[in-house]
Amino acid sequence: MGIIFLTLIFLHLTKKNFIATVAYAIQSFAIVIILLNSFFETGNIYMYVVILATLIIKVILAPLFFNRLIKKHDLVFSASTYLNTPLMLIIIAVLTFVANSRKFAPLTGIIPANQTLLSLALSSIFISLFLIVNRKGTLSQILGILSLENSIVAFIVFAGLEQSVGLQVGVIFDIFIWIIIAFMFMSMIHKHFGSQDITSMKNLKD
Amino acid sequence: MNIIIWIIQLIFVPLVSPFCVGFIRKIKAKMQNRQGASVFQPYKDLWKLLHKDEVISKDASWIFKYAPFIIFAVTIIVGASIPLFASFLNNKLTGDLLVIVYTLSIGTFFLALAGMDTGSGFGGFGSSREMTISALAEGGFIFSLLTVALIAGTTNLFLISGSGMFANSQYFLPISLAFAGFLIILLAETARFPFDNPATHFELTMIHEAMILEYSGKKLALMEWASANKLVIFIALAANLFFPFGIAQSPSSTAVCIGIAIFVVKILVFCLGIAALESCIAKFRFFRLPDLLMISFILNAIAIGIIH
Repeated sequence: MGIIFLTLIFLHLTKKNFIATVAYAIQSFAIVIILLNSFFETGNIYMYVVILATLIIKVILAPLFFNRLIKKHDLVFSASTYLNTPLMLIIIAVLTFVANSRKFAPLTGIIPANQTLLSLALSSIFISLFLIVNRKGTLSQILGILSLENSIVAFIVFAGLEQSVGLQVGVIFDIFIWIIIAFMFMSMIHKHFGSQDITSMKNLKD
Repeated sequence: MNIIIWIIQLIFVPLVSPFCVGFIRKIKAKMQNRQGASVFQPYKDLWKLLHKDEVISKDASWIFKYAPFIIFAVTIIVGASIPLFASFLNNKLTGDLLVIVYTLSIGTFFLALAGMDTGSGFGGFGSSREMTISALAEGGFIFSLLTVALIAGTTNLFLISGSGMFANSQYFLPISLAFAGFLIILLAETARFPFDNPATHFELTMIHEAMILEYSGKKLALMEWASANKLVIFIALAANLFFPFGIAQSPSSTAVCIGIAIFVVKILVFCLGIAALESCIAKFRFFRLPDLLMISFILNAIAIGIIH
């Protein structure tokens, strides 16, 4: 869980798209390890399918797609943020404190033994949402949405709210389709606007 | 046995520090496809400077004359007051984290005063820049040490390095964040990239070198030596508070020898990291440095926030 949290802070700080996709791959790999740990605890053999699908889609395919896009459109640097770095980190600190506060104790205390991990997962959810809001680049926003999904998966696993294998496979398949659509959208946006910065998309073109 | 260990503790930092500077320079030279000077060159430089006459400005007051001795003495005291290779020494008098932070601040204070004392323009702006960075780095420095202090439940640095709480995976994240914050402070306080370039005397960028520009001979040797000592002190704090493995827990000669060997390896790893970092990144503009120091402070605040 620590790795997920650290990669999220890193995603906020990094300015290079390639490094951001690597950070996302590391974050997804941490999710695979969490799922693997869950598999060893539950012993559900079908969880293998979920773990394998997560590994292929989130750790391998998604970063490959994004790197291809970066190379294709020469998107070395991500667009800037709305807030400057110190202010951004202050907000991250506040979000972390809020997630660890007593206000969220009923939520993070679902399983008292995992309270620390659940607080971290909740912090990660908040920080992912902030990443989506704060970044001007579409790639960073997409990585924010995918990080949000990773954080939710981590929260669910530690809260013991895992759903059936079929449903989990369905969700991963859904994410795979979403990544393809996002990839196509980004290509179209770049073709139309010549940039991935959403502030340069004020005027719609034909 | 204890007296011998205390003597080693006292002389370790000044003995090893010139080697660290030489090692970093050698690695940087290798990374730039240069042969580079010997790793023992800083010892030769100190020897040479200690045998040279000095020129002192007629405007210089007692501050300029005594500052090198105060700054050097501060690094020796701090070097003896922090855990280097043994945690059982438990120096209760000066081993507290706040004592260490503010004793180091005394050195910085006199360094800034000495820079301004001769009335030179270079010294003035060097001191101004140094105090700006020191003031901003202080919060991050205290908070990073406070993180490990909160985890260990004590502010004594020897007890922190000797506590086995770091093996607990629960503290992996706060310690990682605090270490990231401390690393930024290490670079700021020891005048390394991206804060300062210790290899040049370029007036637009220099900070530490600007303050000691008026010094020559023996006093310059002390200033350079103190600067190298400070580097080892910060490396020792990083190595023994955030990665406290291999540190001697008992006064047996075997444990102490292993502790010294592991500590030397840790120092070399940190020097290698600093050299690699300095070869990979450029010096930041001065007005971007507060942002970096703020990042350090906030990372440490987050680390404290997630300690359960």
